Amino acid sequence: MLRSFRKSLPKALTIAFACVAFSATALRARAQTSVPGVPPAVETKEIVDETGRTLRVPVSIERIVSLAPSLTETIYALGLQDRLVGDTDYCDYPPDALKKAKVGGPVNPNFEKIAALRPDLVLVTKSINRLDTVRALDTLGIPSYATDPHTVDEIISSTEKLATVLGAPDTGKSLGEDMVRRLAVLQTKLKDVQPSRVLFIVWMEPLISIGKDTFIADALHKAGAISIVDSAKDWPQTNLEEVVRLQPEYLVFAASHSESAARDFDVLASRPGWRILDAVHNRRFAVISEAVNRPAPRIVSAIEELARQLHPEAFSDAPPAPARDTAPSSTPTPPPQKSASPKNVAETFSADQECPCAR
Amino acid sequence: MRPLTFSRLFLRCGVLLLVLFVVVVIALKLGAVQVSLYGLGRDLIRVLLGQTRAISTDYGMIVVDIRLPRILLGIVVGASLSVAGASFQALLRNPLADPYVLGVSSGAAVGAILALIVESHLALSPELAGLITPFGAFIGAAATIAAVYFLGRRDGQIDSGTLLLGGIITASFLSAVIMFLMSTLAGGNLRGASYWLMGDLSTPQPKSLLYLLGIGFVIAAGAIYTTASDLNLLLAGEKEAMHLGVDVPRVRIVVYLAASVLTGLAVSVSGAIGYVGLLVPHVMRLIFGSDHRMLIPASALGGAIALVIADTLARTVVAPSELPVGAMTAMAGAPLFIYLLRRRLA
Amino acid sequence: MSSPHRTTMPPGEQPRSNPDVRLTVEQASYVYSPNPSQAPLFTLEALSFQAKPGEIVAILGPNASGKSTLLKLISGALEPLSGRVFLNGYATHALPPKTRAQRIALVQQESRLLFPSRAWEFVLQGRHAYGRTLRFETEHDITIAKNALAQVGAEHLSDRWMDQISGGEKQRVILARALAQQPLLLLLDEPTLHLDIGAQVDLLESLRRLAAENRYTVVVVTHELNLAGEYADQVVLLQKGKCLRVGSPATVFQRELLEQVFQAPLSVEMTPAGRPRVTLFEKT
Repeated sequence: MLRSFRKSLPKALTIAFACVAFSATALRARAQTSVPGVPPAVETKEIVDETGRTLRVPVSIERIVSLAPSLTETIYALGLQDRLVGDTDYCDYPPDALKKAKVGGPVNPNFEKIAALRPDLVLVTKSINRLDTVRALDTLGIPSYATDPHTVDEIISSTEKLATVLGAPDTGKSLGEDMVRRLAVLQTKLKDVQPSRVLFIVWMEPLISIGKDTFIADALHKAGAISIVDSAKDWPQTNLEEVVRLQPEYLVFAASHSESAARDFDVLASRPGWRILDAVHNRRFAVISEAVNRPAPRIVSAIEELARQLHPEAFSDAPPAPARDTAPSSTPTPPPQKSASPKNVAETFSADQECPCAR
Repeated sequence: MRPLTFSRLFLRCGVLLLVLFVVVVIALKLGAVQVSLYGLGRDLIRVLLGQTRAISTDYGMIVVDIRLPRILLGIVVGASLSVAGASFQALLRNPLADPYVLGVSSGAAVGAILALIVESHLALSPELAGLITPFGAFIGAAATIAAVYFLGRRDGQIDSGTLLLGGIITASFLSAVIMFLMSTLAGGNLRGASYWLMGDLSTPQPKSLLYLLGIGFVIAAGAIYTTASDLNLLLAGEKEAMHLGVDVPRVRIVVYLAASVLTGLAVSVSGAIGYVGLLVPHVMRLIFGSDHRMLIPASALGGAIALVIADTLARTVVAPSELPVGAMTAMAGAPLFIYLLRRRLA
Repeated sequence: MSSPHRTTMPPGEQPRSNPDVRLTVEQASYVYSPNPSQAPLFTLEALSFQAKPGEIVAILGPNASGKSTLLKLISGALEPLSGRVFLNGYATHALPPKTRAQRIALVQQESRLLFPSRAWEFVLQGRHAYGRTLRFETEHDITIAKNALAQVGAEHLSDRWMDQISGGEKQRVILARALAQQPLLLLLDEPTLHLDIGAQVDLLESLRRLAAENRYTVVVVTHELNLAGEYADQVVLLQKGKCLRVGSPATVFQRELLEQVFQAPLSVEMTPAGRPRVTLFEKT
């Protein structure tokens, strides 16, 4: 047995050596073309992103690709949309974002398209994008900046930091201040109000809600609500029994259209067992825009919306100051909101209010 | 009476290589970004001549840094899975055997998921971070190989029937572990795990990994090829093979280890791509017969061709989005399997 | 024709290549015991016999008498618990697989093929023992395979698929493969089980001819009394793991002995050629 093994071994080794030699020359040659997105002559700086990674980017970042809808929105809110050269298929707000070059989905972007756009920086966020994507961009020599906000305050600071990285610290600062001001006004109004216990429904079958460390949970908190699901996971799965035990006061949906939300609620109400819930029995539910799902400046509007639905008594009839979800010059500010009662969902989205689903 | 001769083997492999070359050229041309055939040819020649700096940076990067490595990855993974599939079919004397039947891919998945969990608690440099998932996957695969080996022994030797049972049970157990881990993982890492489980060639890998894969393939496939004549006899039964002069215990160990290593390497980098390892050997058997001296190289080349075609379709059909390559192989594989079944050759 | 056989070797004597004796089974025994703490399932008690080139030996006995076990000991698949089995001076169990395949060929009843092959491919498998690890068949191999098929009268089956020929034809191709190994010792395990009478006779006639022409030593395991009686030069009679008698058919086929072993009333006659013929009666 040993003899035949020894006979075949030299043959195998020769073949192995030949292949290694060939591939070594080919791959080494190829390694030299791996030009990072930065031509050698440009000045660069070192920055650290929110996950602690250090990256080297040009001092002046002219070409940005965004791999998350929230980051696209943030870019527009900062007024830097002229530098955005590509975004994902799901980037739909503001409507102008639909016109940008698409590179695929956030979870599985097309690296060829990204490379073809020659970006100086790619923006990712830890809650939507994959680690593999970031690593792949590293392999290709394209720098990527990751955000990772877990609370509303972190969304604000994240926006300001991003503005600094992109060379517009003042815009970032004023946008941040505006968001802080609006939230402070809201806190004053809700000062004496008991927070409502709510169930935020992400998905119905299986029943999925949000965890306590997510920015959505923090957004609820700022709107005068507390999520009844107490879990360390980001998207905990729960069941009807648990919900019945906890008896939330309201069910909260994030939906793009009010009609679909009402329909969703009726579907839920007709399911066996759900009538036990007081919230279902008394048709106590709130619908807010899908902006609550995106860690971007627009989330403040969603928080205000929710607060109005849950605690209408805290709001006088005077219209609030105009909200600044986007940079002042690009899109018209939304008209004053009507105060909506939680039972009357259809009124929440009046025709004159800017519907987040741009058509 | 026309037994296989070296010249016939060489000729047939040459034809397959030619087909592979044509497929690779087409795959380089097609993609989310338009590339002209002339520019492509010019740049490839430059690569071969070592004049890589002369390539225009725009699509030099796309073709040479993204597409070509992806195609090469597809070639090595396709070849590895097909050779492993053909080997397991011979070793286990079972035409339904595929590279994953002994649980290697499930073990690799567990290893990869554990690596993802561990990595979030460590702060690693980018080069190391890129390698930790494949490394974890390979450790998982190796542990499974060892465990199934010990489960599959009888009287101190590997027994095909016991091996198959041990492997299937291990695969089921590990699948349950995977489901448990996935349900307790935090959100971001979970997404990565799902993609990995489906099988995916779309993520550019570090060069060192591609090297390792290529070398591993050559060594393991070479080891299997030395037992090609023995495998022909093994198909008739182990007792008969022994009486015809085959050192059955040695062949079993060599084939088991080498085929498992091939599977482990392929799966560590690209997840569990299905149907390639099962069907390519059958198709090659249909064309060239069951002589393993022809079947092993034919499966390697056929697997490379099949996976490059599947991957090219996966990334061009709905560009710039991508279908998972595992879905393409399944969609093409299932009807092909049914056809072969009806011809009663599978 | 029967020569006095020796049941024991004088102590201390080394086995020598005696051209007269090819196969020596010397006090070989075996025990099947899957669980050491329990009683053994089956015991083959020590037995001895010898065989020469050109000789046909029949291992005869009812079911579960140890015939297959003895054949495995002879083929080297099992190592005797005590005693020795050697072929031209070498213990069969200790031979490396390739060398053993060059000297001993085993013909089993059925060949289960996973993927169908042609008859010529099947016969060429017999040449595996004669090559290096990675080899292609040479002209020499092809010639030998063709001759082997010719010797069993199956050249016309050369291009046929193995799963499309009859049982008897398959048996002939399996035998051709064994011949392609160019062995010294040809072992057959119940080769006549699935054959009709005409085919049975054909097979035994071929074996006699091959043994004489090519100087094979042939060992056939069978429970067919009359075939053994007609064609064997030596008979080893087994019952329940014990060897009851070894010798020429005339000496072994004694009525009382056979009735005891096969548990059936019978009578034994001698043919003009000196061969015994057994006739079975109805049990009264």
